[in-house]
Amino acid sequence: MKKLLVLLLLAVVGYSLITAMMGVKFGENRLGDPQDEKTVSAYYLNNTTQKLSVSNVITAIVVNYRGLDTLGEVSVLFLASLGLGSILYRKHKEGEEEVAILKPSSQLLQAGSKLIFPAILMLGAYVFIHGHLTPGGGFQGGAIIATGFLLMMMAYQDYRVSHSVLVWVESLAGITFAGIGMWGLLLGNTFLENFLPIGTLNNLFSGGIIPIIYIAVGFKVAAELTGVLDTLLNIKDKH
Amino acid sequence: MYIGYGLVLLGSIFLFLGSLGIYRMPDVYNRLQAGTKATTLGAMSLILGVGFIEPEWLIKTLFIVIFIAIANPLSSHALARAAYRANLTPFMKKKMDAYKSEFHQEKKED
Repeated sequence: MKKLLVLLLLAVVGYSLITAMMGVKFGENRLGDPQDEKTVSAYYLNNTTQKLSVSNVITAIVVNYRGLDTLGEVSVLFLASLGLGSILYRKHKEGEEEVAILKPSSQLLQAGSKLIFPAILMLGAYVFIHGHLTPGGGFQGGAIIATGFLLMMMAYQDYRVSHSVLVWVESLAGITFAGIGMWGLLLGNTFLENFLPIGTLNNLFSGGIIPIIYIAVGFKVAAELTGVLDTLLNIKDKH
Repeated sequence: MYIGYGLVLLGSIFLFLGSLGIYRMPDVYNRLQAGTKATTLGAMSLILGVGFIEPEWLIKTLFIVIFIAIANPLSSHALARAAYRANLTPFMKKKMDAYKSEFHQEKKED
């Protein structure tokens, strides 16, 4: 019965996908010529710098034109970390001794990673704060920060990141993102509408809501990836 | 100015030798030492040379050089240690193993 239900569900999903994809011709260039004024890419390339004063067009597309999509992407990451935690979490049984998989690292690596760790954090923060001016953005900066935490976890066996802090950071960042979207709905017409002054091009404080959203995304991604890495590294062998 | 060009030339020569070494050397440890020495000195002098050619970037390039000087030997040290721990045998037959006694001492402490 259960298998039949699953098959039925798969059939429904497959049918809807096929009917949606039938109209799309395979291998056709649907983006069009950027020189052609009627296409979307031409609109983005011509209007982003004047209307939003954002020099990184990709950031403008990701955060402003398709902001709702980015909110979805961030929640996908959240779901992934949640799923990982729920699968790997195991209650510690009484009298069961567990051995960590990680071997202790050398003194040189420990001292060196202590030196490099703040630099990595600063680089990640720089990448997501300047997301609207230079290549990079919230996701990349968050990933860089998570690698810094990974380095510390590898170097020091007993390095722990407090999970409650991670949860707080992640929730606050998510609330900021959604709250800015709701604020746009209140002041303007649409969800995630720009309500701040756009400033002048190439200034740090420009681009309206884009830097704020990217900072929130950076914190959220960093917290999620750090949580995932911490959960993965804490898998224990049974003794 | 000309110091910068000289440094860039030196760096590119070292990077070339390093890639040749990685291609030519027989086992992990030899490749590691060829690659590390080349990339440390090669990349450092290359970036410093760029800083001398464009004096505005000198401070930035100095920071990059310091970062490479910390990170590059460290990473290759970790790689070599991991290779030793994974019992990878060197290309030549082992005659002397200075790290062995220390390694076993570490193991006893675990």
